[in-house]
Amino acid sequence: MERLTGPTPELQKRFAMALEAHLTQGGEAALLEAYELGRTVLNERLGVLGVATLLQGALVAACERRPRETARTVQAAGSFVLECLCSFEMAHRSVREANTALRGLNQFLEDQTRRISHELHDEAGQLLASVYLALDDVARDLPAPAAARLQSVKTVLDKIEEELRRLSHDLRPTILDDLGLMAALDVLAEGVSGRTGLWVKVEGQREDRLPPAIETVLYRIVQEALNNVGKHAHASAVTIIVRREARRVSCSVRDDGVGFDPGTARSNIKGIGLIGIRERLASLGGALSIDAAPGQGTHLRVAIPLPMTPQGATS
Amino acid sequence: MQPAAIKYEPYTPFVNGLPPAMPALAGVDEIRMPDEIRVPVESDTDIVAARQKGRALAVRLGFSSGEATMVATAISELARNIVLYALRGEMVFCHESDGEKPILVITARDEGDGIADVRQAMQDGYSTTGRLGVGLPGVKRLMDEFEISSIVGRGTVVVVKKWKD
Repeated sequence: MERLTGPTPELQKRFAMALEAHLTQGGEAALLEAYELGRTVLNERLGVLGVATLLQGALVAACERRPRETARTVQAAGSFVLECLCSFEMAHRSVREANTALRGLNQFLEDQTRRISHELHDEAGQLLASVYLALDDVARDLPAPAAARLQSVKTVLDKIEEELRRLSHDLRPTILDDLGLMAALDVLAEGVSGRTGLWVKVEGQREDRLPPAIETVLYRIVQEALNNVGKHAHASAVTIIVRREARRVSCSVRDDGVGFDPGTARSNIKGIGLIGIRERLASLGGALSIDAAPGQGTHLRVAIPLPMTPQGATS
Repeated sequence: MQPAAIKYEPYTPFVNGLPPAMPALAGVDEIRMPDEIRVPVESDTDIVAARQKGRALAVRLGFSSGEATMVATAISELARNIVLYALRGEMVFCHESDGEKPILVITARDEGDGIADVRQAMQDGYSTTGRLGVGLPGVKRLMDEFEISSIVGRGTVVVVKKWKD
């Protein structure tokens, strides 16, 4: 990311002169100069706070020159201020637009994933079922030794079925849509316990449903976190806590594993598949942090603001 | 009586010097709008004049100072493009109404080289300023409607509309 620079004395002088021209002569030329100054400053990577500082400095100087009419001076500076900030308004709108696009893209990906998951589960499952029936049919007409060989084919089919079910579930558990986050986390925890021997505890209000986008991203984060615990942490127990507060929902995943050195945390965080999740979180206005120290386990925390309903309550 | 329609000659890319893809614009040229204000744009001083005329119209239509600033900014960016890339052109300001609220219409027209890839030009990052979300993409975000049409070797026409809030 590009570093923002601070206001320089030279810029301060230009702002003060431009404002002075606006206050004494007025007219469109001075307003254009204000706009161009704001645009230049944006180009020179000065942030909006830098512009605010420059504007305030110029305004103070202008008021000092007119001690008896400060209110009128501030009033007259209004259009100058708007002009200075308008290029930032454009930049701000572009960020908002990008954020909306990102959210749309995530939604699209989630919809695709859901579709593929359901197709794997339903369509491929149906086909497999008919293969089983056909095999049974053939087995009846075959002598015993051949039927035994068919049995080994069925063993492979069982594995395929199991694999399909796991794949479909990993892509998008139907339970997340049907019964919500907590139920889906319970199933996820059971699966991880069964596969890895980790002791996984899930805490949270089970009757609450959260907005679907938030449930999805929380599920994905916990899924990713448990993956990482399984792969890297050498932990014996993990606790997952989902807590709904007045204005936000928080989620914590803590393990008792080997942890890692926060000095290399940055590269670790990048390496553990959280990049996509960070972006998805960002589009919901959420934040994620990971605390770890060697030998102290790892603690991942997420907070996502809840959208306000028109009544002012959270939904 | 025949309904009013804008007709295009086949194989002539411009009607009255305008690309046929923009009927609204052809209308601007054929049917003179009431209160239409034209400003030729060739130099930086013309940018000031264009902004001044556009802002005055915005104020006359009852736009807030914030809205008037956005109108002035759009004019700046469009006029700057004319001065920088086409050397000369003109801007036309007029207004229409959706029945309740006034709509300010800005047309920027030049007979420069045109833009070969309009879609690319509308993407952030196409120009050094576009990278920051200003330039043409920035104008689009400030305005409520945005149309651009360009023919290489003939010129570019941009029509933007701002509705009063």
